[in-house]
Amino acid sequence: MELEFMDIQVERDCFLIQGSGIFTPGIHLVSGRVGSGKTTLAMIAAGLGMPDRGVVRRQGIGSVMLSMQFPEQHLTGSTLESEIASWRLDPDPVLALAGLSGRGKDDPFSLSRGELKRLHLACIFSRPFDLLILDEPFSALDCRGKMTTADQIGSIRAGITIIFTHENQHLPRVDYLWEIREGALVFLGSVPEALVGWKNKPAVLAELHKRGVYPKNLSTADILEAACRTHD
Amino acid sequence: MIDISNLIFRDLAIQKLRIPPGHTAVIGPNGSGKTTLLRLIAGLITPSAGAISIDGRHTGEIETGFVNEFPDRNILFYRVEDEISAPLRFRGISCRKTLEMADAIIREADLSYLATRISKQLSGGEKTLVALLTAVISSPRILILDEFDSHLDQESISISMDIIEHTGAEYVIQCTQNMDLAACCDQVLYLSEKGLQLTGTPEEVFSRLIQTCFYPGLWRIRDGT
Repeated sequence: MELEFMDIQVERDCFLIQGSGIFTPGIHLVSGRVGSGKTTLAMIAAGLGMPDRGVVRRQGIGSVMLSMQFPEQHLTGSTLESEIASWRLDPDPVLALAGLSGRGKDDPFSLSRGELKRLHLACIFSRPFDLLILDEPFSALDCRGKMTTADQIGSIRAGITIIFTHENQHLPRVDYLWEIREGALVFLGSVPEALVGWKNKPAVLAELHKRGVYPKNLSTADILEAACRTHD
Repeated sequence: MIDISNLIFRDLAIQKLRIPPGHTAVIGPNGSGKTTLLRLIAGLITPSAGAISIDGRHTGEIETGFVNEFPDRNILFYRVEDEISAPLRFRGISCRKTLEMADAIIREADLSYLATRISKQLSGGEKTLVALLTAVISSPRILILDEFDSHLDQESISISMDIIEHTGAEYVIQCTQNMDLAACCDQVLYLSEKGLQLTGTPEEVFSRLIQTCFYPGLWRIRDGT
């Protein structure tokens, strides 16, 4: 199973993103600045957008899911129950997973944005996908929600998961690291080796590297373990 | 001083709270009422009971800039430069002066490349930056920011903080899930599902949260915890 970008390019006004690379099974993290093209690449990976140039090749991929950055853009139901049912899921377990038990009759827009994101992610994580694309899955979540989401992503054992994010505090354990640099998608390699070459790395990781401490991966547990080592 | 007394709005109840001038971070779990508190202070909603006064005046009587947590809800106009200019145009400021001020603030923020773009086609982070410039262009006394940084990368947050610092707003009240950012503010309010739990300087508030994930990551490295 793999997804390949073959010399793709997208150009809009003053915006340009280009790159090549193969996404194999495992968890991939793609980081990039605001406006660098993360969402554009996510849409292309999901087959919802086309590059101006180049080819996107999918091999052995059946089911594809794109989690959009803004959870409100996914809504179709007027209650939490009907929203969950629209994913062909049983509401009760999903509500429990989202920490929203007993609120099935509520209007989704009565939730805070973080709660809405939790609901959306609970729907996503309740079904398996060959290719799961998560566009800023951590935005709007509090630290507990981010850690839970990171754990849920980290527990995915099959298929290709691609996370497009600028999150810099709570991340999952990932297998591969990519970075968008000045309009180009760059494959940095496998983690942990790739962490050293990460240009716009999270502030906490940069601080650890400055002190000569290298975490094994990006999860909160890995960062806390490394933080303890700074005082060895 | 922002004075809140006997406030009730839906599930949010605050008996007494005083927010001094400066940069205040509002932190806490999702659903704890942070957005509601911000909207009450901005005068966008009215409390069911109790009162909020800002330097002795009612909310809404003082020029307030507000950035919504939903980026699309901030945008009204087709082009970015029209969006950013809108608060000045609504005040009847001359076209020449409006254009000068919009151009200046866009250049200072290093966002000239966005000026002629179509607002709806921007990325979420770009929309947030445009919303911030729109909120500050009329130099409000109060600037209220609802988790706008969740759409931004580190460098964009740093640029935004510079913009905010130079607005001259007397009160900046910012809801955030970035605890390293909250740790740099003058004061911190911590809300939980049970209401307002902690207020004080970052040191005072975070010292009570050391066992939780709300403790700033950079402080953990500093402390070796």
